[in-house]
Amino acid sequence: MAEFLELEAQDGIRMPWNVIPGTKQDAANCVVPVSAIYTPLKPNPVIPVLPYGPLRCRMCRSILNPFCVVDYVAKIWVCPFCFQRNHFPQHYSSISESNLPAELFPQYTTVEFMSTTETGPVVPPVFLFVVDTCMIEEEIGYLKSALAQAIELLPDQSLVGFITFGTYVQVHELGFGLLPKSYVFKGMKEVTKDQILEQMCFFAGKTKPTTGVIAGSRDGLSAESIARFLLPASDCEFVLNSIIEELQKDPWPVSADQRASRCTGTALSVAASLLGVCVPGSGARIMAFIGGPSTEGPGSIVSKALSEPIRSHKDLDKGSAPLYNKAVKFYEEISKQLVHQGHVLDLFACALDQVGVAEMKVAVERTGGIVVLAESFGHSVFKESLQRIFQSSDNDLGLSFNGIFEINCSKDVKIQGIIGPCTSLEKKSPLSSDTVVGQGSTSAWKMCGLDRKTSICLVFDIAKKDGPDAINQPTSNQFYFQFLTYYQHHEGQMRLRATTISRRWVAGSGGVQDLIDGFDQEAAAAVMARLVSFKMEAEADFDPIRWLDRALISLCSKFGDYQKETPSSFSLSPRLSLFPQFMFNLRRSQFVQVFNNSPDETAYFRMMLNREDVTNAVVMIQPSLISYSFQSGPEPVLLDVTAIAADRILLLDSYFTIVIFHGITIAQWRKAGYQDHEGHEAFAQLLQAPQEEADSIIKERFPVPRLVVCDQYGSQARFLLAKLNPSVTYNSDNPAPPGGDVIFTDDVSFQVFMDHLQRLAVQ
Amino acid sequence: MGAPANAPSFGPPGWQGQARPRVMSAGMQPMPGMLPNAHGQGMPSTPAIPYSPHAGAQVSTPSKIDPNQIPRPIAETSVIIFETRQGGQAAVPPAASSEFIVKDTGNCNPRLMRCTLNQIPCTGDILTTSAMPLALMVQPFALPHPSEEPIQLVDFGEMGPVRCSRCKAYINPFMRFIDQGKHFICNLCGFSNDTPREYLCNLGPDGRRRDADERPELCRGTVEFIATKEFLVRDPMPAVYFFLIDVSMNAIQTGATAAACSAISQAISDLPEGPRTMVGIATFDSAIHFYSLKRDQQQPLMLIVPDIQDVYTPLQTDLILPISECRENLEQLLESIPNMFETNRVGDSAFGAAMKASFLAMKSTGGKLLVFQSVLPSAGIGSLSTREAEGRSNISTGDKEAHKLLQPVDKTLKTMALEFAEYQVCVDVFLTTQSYVDISSISVVPSTTGGRVYYYYPFSALSDPAKLFNDLRWNISRPQGFESVMRVRCSQGLQVQDYTGNFCRRVPTDIDLPAIDSDKTIMVTFKHDDKLQENSECAFQCALLYTTVYGQRRIRVINLSLPCTNVLSNLFRYADLETQFTYVVKQAANAIPSTPLSQVRDQVTNTCINILQSYRKHCASVSSSGQLILPEALKLLPLYTLALIKSVGLRTEGRLDDRSYWVSIASSISVLLAIPLVFPRMIALHDLTSRSDDDSLIPTPLTLNSENTLDSGIYLLENGEDGFVYVGNAVNPATLEQIFGVSSLAGAPNLLVLEQYDNELSRKVNDVVNEIRRQRCSYLRLRLCKHGDPSGDFFRSLLVEDKAPGGLSYVEFLVHVHRQIQSKMT
Repeated sequence: MAEFLELEAQDGIRMPWNVIPGTKQDAANCVVPVSAIYTPLKPNPVIPVLPYGPLRCRMCRSILNPFCVVDYVAKIWVCPFCFQRNHFPQHYSSISESNLPAELFPQYTTVEFMSTTETGPVVPPVFLFVVDTCMIEEEIGYLKSALAQAIELLPDQSLVGFITFGTYVQVHELGFGLLPKSYVFKGMKEVTKDQILEQMCFFAGKTKPTTGVIAGSRDGLSAESIARFLLPASDCEFVLNSIIEELQKDPWPVSADQRASRCTGTALSVAASLLGVCVPGSGARIMAFIGGPSTEGPGSIVSKALSEPIRSHKDLDKGSAPLYNKAVKFYEEISKQLVHQGHVLDLFACALDQVGVAEMKVAVERTGGIVVLAESFGHSVFKESLQRIFQSSDNDLGLSFNGIFEINCSKDVKIQGIIGPCTSLEKKSPLSSDTVVGQGSTSAWKMCGLDRKTSICLVFDIAKKDGPDAINQPTSNQFYFQFLTYYQHHEGQMRLRATTISRRWVAGSGGVQDLIDGFDQEAAAAVMARLVSFKMEAEADFDPIRWLDRALISLCSKFGDYQKETPSSFSLSPRLSLFPQFMFNLRRSQFVQVFNNSPDETAYFRMMLNREDVTNAVVMIQPSLISYSFQSGPEPVLLDVTAIAADRILLLDSYFTIVIFHGITIAQWRKAGYQDHEGHEAFAQLLQAPQEEADSIIKERFPVPRLVVCDQYGSQARFLLAKLNPSVTYNSDNPAPPGGDVIFTDDVSFQVFMDHLQRLAVQ
Repeated sequence: MGAPANAPSFGPPGWQGQARPRVMSAGMQPMPGMLPNAHGQGMPSTPAIPYSPHAGAQVSTPSKIDPNQIPRPIAETSVIIFETRQGGQAAVPPAASSEFIVKDTGNCNPRLMRCTLNQIPCTGDILTTSAMPLALMVQPFALPHPSEEPIQLVDFGEMGPVRCSRCKAYINPFMRFIDQGKHFICNLCGFSNDTPREYLCNLGPDGRRRDADERPELCRGTVEFIATKEFLVRDPMPAVYFFLIDVSMNAIQTGATAAACSAISQAISDLPEGPRTMVGIATFDSAIHFYSLKRDQQQPLMLIVPDIQDVYTPLQTDLILPISECRENLEQLLESIPNMFETNRVGDSAFGAAMKASFLAMKSTGGKLLVFQSVLPSAGIGSLSTREAEGRSNISTGDKEAHKLLQPVDKTLKTMALEFAEYQVCVDVFLTTQSYVDISSISVVPSTTGGRVYYYYPFSALSDPAKLFNDLRWNISRPQGFESVMRVRCSQGLQVQDYTGNFCRRVPTDIDLPAIDSDKTIMVTFKHDDKLQENSECAFQCALLYTTVYGQRRIRVINLSLPCTNVLSNLFRYADLETQFTYVVKQAANAIPSTPLSQVRDQVTNTCINILQSYRKHCASVSSSGQLILPEALKLLPLYTLALIKSVGLRTEGRLDDRSYWVSIASSISVLLAIPLVFPRMIALHDLTSRSDDDSLIPTPLTLNSENTLDSGIYLLENGEDGFVYVGNAVNPATLEQIFGVSSLAGAPNLLVLEQYDNELSRKVNDVVNEIRRQRCSYLRLRLCKHGDPSGDFFRSLLVEDKAPGGLSYVEFLVHVHRQIQSKMT
């Protein structure tokens, strides 16, 4: 396990198969696809930043890397991907075995290039706030103070814009000093970019160019006309603060049996077009703060009548959510526009009911936006997450913009697609597989927004056919992969990060043990989770449980150790031993059991899953549980109902929620206030320990998780119980031990699951 | 920028008459059998002009007519006390232009309503034979003489005003109570109604109710009733004033925006007091800028509606607020608007869209929308094109369709206006412009919603702000009412044929007036559908339901009962020249947009000829065949007709917008102002000091011919709208110095700012101008006309008695009329 983590630390890559099944058939037999979860901007102080541009293969455009074979005498390098021989250019002439450029150092499989001459000037990031005003006064108050704080934290040079919306959309002209001034657009109607150009006076006093794409200062819009709406944060702090201070509930009347008329879709479309007009192609994010469902104009998700409930998973399944498909289509268009412009949509959805995250998902995910879902703008999940975005600290997000991700691989490997926050650039190449998963049919992707944690899941296809020639190339049993990420660094410059890795492949039946040795079960679980989520959304009538079960059974029968038809003889190598449990918990997780959640929540969970690295994904699939007691120090315990005891404190981390659960005895002591009494310092410490652990988790996680502190038998205890393996239920034969707990469920326990698995695997 | 120090506030106009028919002394022939005038003034006489045309071609010998003997208006200086009914008879009202004080003794004050004929023909045939029109001019809020009693307010409480149960006519002095007062007979439809129990009263020996003299509705021609619930479809609306200002590049650069802002800023203090007075403001160029003036925001909030194809109001509240809550904010805003848009480079102006958006903001209440527009509306809904230029280039292809340019270009603005009217929004448009703005199209909106067009062309930031301010101030401070509905009823035998004026008509019987004010007149024409009984009286009743600026719903009922006659000569004798001529002016104005100008002129001339011919044929003695015989009451008809033909509206040359403006003015003009509009008044200014202080303030008007303008003189010619100051080429520089403060006018701008200097002449000139402004309820726009200059030529073209390239001289016209009559007679 540790070696996978080391590899990850160096290159930000984890692959389920670190030894790759070398033929198409082998790969198919391995069930879990050949894939990788890559964190392009994973911070690593060791990675050198080279102050010059990369050297590219003149055939396949891949970049000079440690795997290239170099002929120092002839000053020639051979591309490992296409075997093209390339001459070094003049400025590499002093190259020799003892004088290597950094990108050829064997340990620098990941390097960054930053050539100022090629990448142009530093551009400030743009933040366009889009703020919902259809909320009760209390919520507006919370939002105001959160926004005011955020504004203070904005980097001085970054450009800021401000849009509010309710029944109408108001674009605030921050550069107008005399009065608070805003352009008002009707919520009912979509606004095109051309209309924005025309109606917001970008051509005032000039004639409109008759042809050509018109946008940005490059195309002749004056800097002043842009500076009306997007200003350096330091220049408009006062105006911005007064706008925030005067934010008021949408003044249009709403009758008691109606929802507020909220034109989220139009507001976002206006925001997208405004950015498209002002700063196309340069890093910008729309930060949308939304307090309820869209009911007006395009992209609305529910009618105004309160008698009509917001769509549920059941409605979506039955196709009885009339507005859903229209809204999704609308947001698909928005996402296309944003991707084209290189801009990001971030979503801060804070409401007790749904706001339409499920519909907006496409626009957020394809642009690499951040999404935060909370119950209220007063909730710490929202407040702290928002702060985290702008705060500079060790854990800052390192928000980067406008990325393009490209891939090169050995010719027997093809790319099916990426599941994660990006959009296919539809750049079809011999590398792209005909089978498409996620964003595919390309070898280049747009990543409008990415940060240090953004992780994408690449799914590969092994193209090599079985047969004699598969074995006939013993010289090259390595596959090479090169990942190139060209992006606008959060400090403004454009950079290129290049990661080149190599993996051995094996073919035929002899390689099983090699495959097992190279199996990263955590990465596999993460990939399977992304795959099953993707298939649930993409494929009609997809049965996720059946699909997962079949996959697990096939995997176990291929790699398990057993005698045929003898379940009791079944065993798995330690490399695989945790995998069934991961799958058991994945089956029970929010990603598969969607009916416990609203479509908005599901969309949120999946978006997080699709952008997090393997470690976090595993926590989402299978929460970690730590026990604190007087008997022993903090120790991980099984995610099982039997972990509950009266004198224990449990700390559950399910990624989105962190639960501190006090056993009944501890809870009673705590209620009695013993921790404050002298002589009970040990108890105070025991109480403190999980709290500290929770704080340290919260500190580095984004979005900030929800913290639930509860007691055994308390109502909040459900947050823990729902995640535990129901080994003891209300109708179990063996009753719970004293101080223990039972779970009221008919779900099968892990033991039962394993029994079935063994029986089926050995058939 | 403020109004000059000498800008007068104008109140009610004085009642200096100047147009009183004069009896001709020479060549007149007494008409046998003619009765003395009912009101006993003037000799019973018929003027006739000796004229013997030679048989054949010798036409051009009008020298036999003595130009000094032909009929001209003469000034009347004494004040007449007029009782509307005397001895149970309708009295014939004095001329509209004379000064009179009315005692309402049953018939209404003639200022409020007067008829073209003071005796009503019993049959349609007589009317047709006479060739005269039968029409009422109704000016429901006409300003009273200061010495007149105010109109009395009657409150019937819950039960509401007593009405005829068949025709819904309101109780009036001519309803006849019978049967000990238990029943009353409607004077309009003849139906016998039961008297409501609460309203019972015994009759006296004279057959009148004993309480008749105590009840205004039974003894006064005009009363107001408090409206009951049945007249209310909603609570009476507040007095809403919404200002909409053009801030496009042109408006800013010509100073029009600044002038508008300054005018509004000064005028808001004259808005009616009280919590029901509300204001709002917006500006526009190619987008519409609203301002939320809510008090708890330190600064007004500017909200821009950029979509000018599909407009909307950005807020539903906070755009229109009680003036008491936002006065300071509004004043500050008005001060800063010109600066705010100082560098505006947007040339487009979305007039229609801005009106529509403002309308949407006012929709829930209704109210007055005051638009300040400076350029041709070029963007958004209702945008217009430079039709004038297109028209000019097409002129070579023939003049046939020229009048089409005087029609609205399409229905967009009309449709909009109808919607405005439906929601009680009245639009006034102030055009402060330097170029063609297509008034024909624009004027549709004010004329449909009860407003009017104000026109400042070419706008001068130097001289016009004072007029703009005064116009605006008068607009909002004059007597007025909102959300009104008007209906005129008449006795059986007659029916209303049509209404003319600035209003919206949705049903045939009523007209809707989102606003009605003291300057607006509505013309109502009638036709016979049956016979009227001789010796009976024909009644007219105008009922105007409206809301006062203080939010009270009232019904103003104006009654006029006139005797019926079968005698044709009575019709001529009791004809009301000024009212009839106003009818002719309005008919001509109506015809201009739909008929080629030459035809309109012919129609006007024919109207005159037909009337005179009818008189000649049926009423004059046969012996006087060589003479042009004019009925005494209508002896000025030829002169006025000639003036009309030569007026801005009907003359061939002139700008399109000038003509459109003239048409738009004429449609709602009062009798009092219709005459000067075509037949201006000219007075000499240079010799004002030679008059004694006892004389009336305004000197006797001069005859409108060039013989009266000396090269050494300075003359003022005014038509109620403009004042033309003509300066001869040999004026004593000292006089110039006294009046204008300069010894030479070479290079002086045509638009004149009249200042008061410290000398008697200057003081008197200012007094005269201010008095005229007061009389006309209009701040005359003064223009300097210099001899030998195009402006001087224009001045000369207004001297209607002169022979001009476009028309005959007065004498020639009389000859022409006479000849036409003769040829018809044979």
